[in-house]
Amino acid sequence: MTATATATTTPTPAPDTGTAALPPAPEPRRRNVMLVGTVLTIAAGTMLTGGLLAAYFSAREITQAAGEAWPAEEILIAMPNATLFVAYLTLLMSSVTAQWAVSALSSRDRRTMYVAVGLTLMLGLAFVNALTFSWGQLGMVAGADPFSTTVYALTVSHLLVVVAAHVALLVVGFRALGGQFSARNREMVVSVAAFWHFAVAMGLVIWYSVWFLEGGP
Amino acid sequence: MTATETAPRATSVDAGAGHETDAGRPPAGLAGWFTTEDHKRIGRLYLGTALAFLVVGGVLGAVLGVERINSGLQVLTDTTFGQVYTLHGEVAVLLFLVPFFLGLATYLVPLQVGSPDIAFPRGSATAYWAYLLGGVLLLAAYAANGGPGGGSQVGTDLYLLSLALLTVAFCVALVSILTTALTLRAPGMTLARTPLFTWSVLVGGGLTLLASPVLLAQLVEMFIHHHFSGDFGGQASYARISWFWAVPQVYLLAVPAAGIAAEIVPVLTGGRLRNHRSGMAVIVALGILGFGAWSPPAAAAADFLYVVVGLAALLPALALVGLLGDTVRGGSFVRKAPLLLALGAVVHLLLGALAGAVQVVPGLQLRGTAWEAAQMHYTLYGAATLAAFAALWYWAPKIWGVVLGEAAGTAAFALTFWGAILLAAPDLVTGLVSDQRLQGGQFDDTGLVTAMNAASALGGALAVLGVLVVVGELLRRTRGRSAAGAAANPWGGHTLEWATTSPPPPGNFAEPVPPVTSATPLAGEATEATGATDREEVKR
Repeated sequence: MTATATATTTPTPAPDTGTAALPPAPEPRRRNVMLVGTVLTIAAGTMLTGGLLAAYFSAREITQAAGEAWPAEEILIAMPNATLFVAYLTLLMSSVTAQWAVSALSSRDRRTMYVAVGLTLMLGLAFVNALTFSWGQLGMVAGADPFSTTVYALTVSHLLVVVAAHVALLVVGFRALGGQFSARNREMVVSVAAFWHFAVAMGLVIWYSVWFLEGGP
Repeated sequence: MTATETAPRATSVDAGAGHETDAGRPPAGLAGWFTTEDHKRIGRLYLGTALAFLVVGGVLGAVLGVERINSGLQVLTDTTFGQVYTLHGEVAVLLFLVPFFLGLATYLVPLQVGSPDIAFPRGSATAYWAYLLGGVLLLAAYAANGGPGGGSQVGTDLYLLSLALLTVAFCVALVSILTTALTLRAPGMTLARTPLFTWSVLVGGGLTLLASPVLLAQLVEMFIHHHFSGDFGGQASYARISWFWAVPQVYLLAVPAAGIAAEIVPVLTGGRLRNHRSGMAVIVALGILGFGAWSPPAAAAADFLYVVVGLAALLPALALVGLLGDTVRGGSFVRKAPLLLALGAVVHLLLGALAGAVQVVPGLQLRGTAWEAAQMHYTLYGAATLAAFAALWYWAPKIWGVVLGEAAGTAAFALTFWGAILLAAPDLVTGLVSDQRLQGGQFDDTGLVTAMNAASALGGALAVLGVLVVVGELLRRTRGRSAAGAAANPWGGHTLEWATTSPPPPGNFAEPVPPVTSATPLAGEATEATGATDREEVKR
């Protein structure tokens, strides 16, 4: 029997006949599959952010051209600028801790990596808490006016991205606890950290475009 | 057994899919289909579901056509006509064309690049099920009086959610496919050596991945606005969705069609593309000019850049005709169904690009008239659907292990090609002489326009017959297929998917793919490898 014939007709492991079988054929080299997939996802997420911001600024231009206030006076007064500033600062800090986790893994310091992943998750949750609190403070009614609608579209979409980043980081955390990943095998950790950075960057763009420009520092 | 025998390799299907058995066989029956992470099964699921939705879209189109035969409405009211019209467009693009090409890519791209599996198989499977759920919810939303003109609050919310779900599903599927093409190529297969279909998926899929989130952003905002205020916003809001299949974005959906034609024509004429890279360049040009995420129609109608891009989109279509015409001239034209279908797709792409170029001229004011419907029918039905049928005929041996009939293929070509011509051409005339707006169900009852509407309806009926022929032939052949499958390379194909059995085994390739040294690694070897038996099978 030739090697070719065996490979095509024998899908089950070869019985031990005492002869030496060659090792399995090598898989094609996988070139950063996880990282490339993450980059593509981030590209799509960037376009999502761009689409939402385009809708926001378009609505802003139309409203202001019509001589109406943007945002409405009562929303501007209720805008919790300090809370929002702290919320997005917290989110920015989570980016540092996410990168700290990658760095710790690269240094073969698993214990520090666990701490960094845990801190990142906590800071992310703190941001979610602060954002939802700010929604309550603002008292905006979705659908009532273009500002409320577009701001909810932006912040809810961002919230979903942050939640997705939490899920991905939780998976990484549990896998790390299960003994996966090492200084050489860290592509998934790097990819999830990159996605986390994207979630943070999206948040900062929203903070600047909406809360900073409209509400001031 | 000798000492040189190769031990069986653990395929990535075995390794990556928790539900596959050690032997690489999936669980039997429905459980196997529900839990599969095999890209070939997922691809087949996509193709089957997309064809089922095509039948739905065809029936809707036929109803619309019947309504147009005489002035005045017979079956549908003003409101329901608008609903059926928008549903017809959404089914055609979002439930048939995009998922069909995604399914084809899910099946073929790993094979064409010599990979044993697709990247993120679970993501790919999830995307399919999300697409199916989104499609069913879309139909349910219309049934519940949702849709752009619907009167039901819940139904319209469901409509927007279903479109958002579909968009997310497409993005997930595209990430999986594009990652496969970018990272899992066989040794030696540089991007410049990528098969043209895979290249078209990279270009068209990449740009669709960038355009779809813009649609998603619109949908999120529209959902929030509608859910809390109860106001959909009428036709202006629908225009924010339908830009996805309007000029110039519509050419993005024709990019895979160009890739399919460029793949089929050289193989079946025995000619060679004069320059593989020029084929790649044409596809890139078509993609870039079609990337209309920046141009929502309401804002861009008089935009200079919009007009220039609309006119320039004609150039890659002309270049494709020149490239493939040169290939046919260098080979020999043998009447085979996939070749007819592929060439027919190219002709329709050119007609669509011509119609699109005229449409963007501001002074003619053709936007929103029947001309726009004609342009979409040329591009989406003529070019993209003919290419989809060409792909079915060409790759059916690889996908299902069957060779589809020549007679049925020729009939499908004649019905679809001439049906699409007859469907679209009268609308060009109508668009020039009348401002009849199809979406609102308002018809011009002057003699010429009435005759044109009747001719267009006849074309639609022929097109529906073409769909039924395709689906019937596929069902007939796949139900009665033999366990042996088809020959590995019945057409003498040049790319790696033809280097494995039809259909391929778990893990796709029984042996490691040797280093690739050209864009057509099997060219010249195909005839020797497959011999006369394969060619005889095709003749049968």
